[in-house]
Amino acid sequence: MAKLLIVIPAYNEEASIVPVVEDLIEHYPQYDYVVVNDGSRDHTAALCRRHDFHMIDLPVNLGLAGAFQTGLRYAAENGYDCALQFDADGQHLPRYIAPMLELLESGADIVIGSRFVTVKKPKSLRMAGSYLISWAIRLTTGKAICDPTSGMRMFNRKMLEEFAANLNYAPEPDTISYLVKNGAVVKELQVEMGERTAGASYLNFARSVEYMVKMGLSILLIQWFRKRDTLTPYTERSL
Amino acid sequence: MLDYPLSLRLLLVLGSLLTLVFVLGRIRRAKIQIEDSIFWFVFSGFLLLLSIFPELAYWAAGTLGMQAPINVVYLAIIFLLILKVFFMSLRISQMDSKMKILAQKVALNEEKIERTHQDR
Repeated sequence: MAKLLIVIPAYNEEASIVPVVEDLIEHYPQYDYVVVNDGSRDHTAALCRRHDFHMIDLPVNLGLAGAFQTGLRYAAENGYDCALQFDADGQHLPRYIAPMLELLESGADIVIGSRFVTVKKPKSLRMAGSYLISWAIRLTTGKAICDPTSGMRMFNRKMLEEFAANLNYAPEPDTISYLVKNGAVVKELQVEMGERTAGASYLNFARSVEYMVKMGLSILLIQWFRKRDTLTPYTERSL
Repeated sequence: MLDYPLSLRLLLVLGSLLTLVFVLGRIRRAKIQIEDSIFWFVFSGFLLLLSIFPELAYWAAGTLGMQAPINVVYLAIIFLLILKVFFMSLRISQMDSKMKILAQKVALNEEKIERTHQDR
């Protein structure tokens, strides 16, 4: 079986981190996990230490992209075959890990745990951004990604090395569109997502709009001009 | 209305075109983060647009009641750059404090390692 690392970026998740990780340890011991504490200002790090969770503790806040990349560097340097991006707030349900892994091994570079493959995407204001990003990806790559903003994504070895080593590889829809354009095979698996068990969403209205505009511009304008840099395989770079 | 010579117009178009190409080249070689490249992409696109359609500046000057179109151009560019400088200053401050925290962390870790070595 492929060796999978579950990367759990955590920023101020003291209310939910313990049950989320304990669930993984108890019911899914076949997978390794690592919590990447992104310089939280609450008790996230202390709780992880008290419960003896496997944790990488970043001394400063790097943002989601930097924290996730830290986890992927760990995966790359420790010989993992694939990695899963997994939220610390309880939205992602671990029962979908096995089918996602299966789909990845059947020949995909990226598997997205998607809310809208068989379920219809609601036509609400909240989903306007998702529609816009789906449309932008479709326009620029010709491929339909039903749930581009889903944060539950699995990457194979090739992808995780690429993510670990390069600038501008945030785990966001624009990176997905860029990789699709460069021939990466992206598959989606229908999943359910839980409600946040605690804490407020990071995205308020202004931030959502800002995020949408950034993603839209990035996908529609910037991604065309990027050159892919995979000249040196990860293992031959000295990181 | 458009009373400046063709050579100047060509020069402006060429200048803004080169700026855009230069920016795109850097984006291409991944020497810049997406967040930063969006600003420069839009900014150099704005310059190019203005050099091809200077009527835009005349129109804006007319609507805003300004004497000369060039004032609109200067005002817009200076305002954009002031904003950019402000946000850069914000980021430099944050980077500065993060760098301090990192240096302190490294030094404290070093001290911890040396102390444990002496204890043994």
